[in-house]
Amino acid sequence: MMTTRLPNRLPRHLLLVVALAAAVPAGASNRLIAAGGRVSIARTPLTVTPASEWNRLGARPGRNAEVWTLDGDTLNALTFYAAIGEGKTLFRQADRREHPLPPVNRTMLLTDIPTLLENSYRSALGVATMTIDHVEPTPFAGAGGVHFSYSFVRPEEAIHVRGEGFGTLRDGKLYLITYEAPALYYFERSAAAARQVAESARLD
Amino acid sequence: MLRIARDMILACLVAAAAVPASAQERSAIKPGFVLPPDTARILLFRPSITVGAQSTAGLFEPNADWTAQAREALGASLREAEAHLGHTVIDYAAPDGADAAALAEYHALFDTVAAAVIEFQFFPGNRLPTKKRKDQFDWGLGPEVGTLPGLGGADYALFVTTEDAFGSTGRKVLQLFAALARVSVVSGVHKGFAGLVDLHSGELVWLNADLQMGGDVRTPEGARKRVRELLAGFPGKPADTPVAAADANRAR
Repeated sequence: MMTTRLPNRLPRHLLLVVALAAAVPAGASNRLIAAGGRVSIARTPLTVTPASEWNRLGARPGRNAEVWTLDGDTLNALTFYAAIGEGKTLFRQADRREHPLPPVNRTMLLTDIPTLLENSYRSALGVATMTIDHVEPTPFAGAGGVHFSYSFVRPEEAIHVRGEGFGTLRDGKLYLITYEAPALYYFERSAAAARQVAESARLD
Repeated sequence: MLRIARDMILACLVAAAAVPASAQERSAIKPGFVLPPDTARILLFRPSITVGAQSTAGLFEPNADWTAQAREALGASLREAEAHLGHTVIDYAAPDGADAAALAEYHALFDTVAAAVIEFQFFPGNRLPTKKRKDQFDWGLGPEVGTLPGLGGADYALFVTTEDAFGSTGRKVLQLFAALARVSVVSGVHKGFAGLVDLHSGELVWLNADLQMGGDVRTPEGARKRVRELLAGFPGKPADTPVAAADANRAR
């Protein structure tokens, strides 16, 4: 179990929120993801086949990322990071100088993926306490991958969030799917549907 | 704070989208839900009240004195209003030894749900496709909320949250210059959520939520106006007097 105390500063929160708001292209709208169809993620080789309906948010956290949800991203967020290459970050850099995000590195190991996510949250979200609860090898997207669970407290909201991640590295690029929701009620409510999507992932 | 920052951004997006005021929904009730007067026992959870200033850059700066004034004024107004809701309303008192963190977490979850309803259901331009279906209002805190200690057989829990960020002089000047440049800048956020949760199912059966409510919550008359807006349309409540309704309209 890894626990890290991290700093928490308001300006970073606002920067990220502004960055996410600015990431909404004019006319971008939320789209229905129908059950049963094979869906390409952010125009990358990563595809998934959801067994139930989801909503894809028009706002994206990064160029090669997208968020699916059932009730809004603060209540359940299934986030895809697809084909994140050498030197690229999980999210858009809102403040490269003061709060740089850790980049993907070709020398990364599967076990470095949870740490990359944790350090990205520290820098982008100002998460004060984040715990990686469990890490295990797992097949993912047709290759060897890593499955991990984690938890953190959303800054200033007293909301305990639980999360799970499924990640792999292919040709030096990162493919990661995370599912997050408040620990109270919402996490368990959609966890099975989220895991089904992650387990359906393929890289073509 | 992140939540307030997100609300400010959402308020800007709503303003920038130039959505007619009538298109922005502020209240919803679960389809088919009816609560005849004087048939339910309702617990009022301790309201969450925060007041501060909005800096020129839009950051929230909490103000303890304003928050204390608002807590007193809103508390008195809510006590007045409880008598006219048409139901038995009791202030929730957590028993000794109750898990205060669990109570706080449920209130935080209510706030998160209410904000999500505004963002993904009340704002038509951002509505989730699965929430667009006719007569749908499917939100909740989960059935476990009914296991909180000290509920005493109550049927419903009433959650109330207000967060007010008064625009600083610098923020208002920025708003003025931005308007000249035809750029929308929101000065101040005056958020109010009031929601009724079924303690047997955990469903949110009624919600009144808006990021720009009226009434200066630091004053008794402003707090009364805010409470009238928060509880407008409360299920089973006798109709508001014409004066109250006119006040609510002017606040829009």
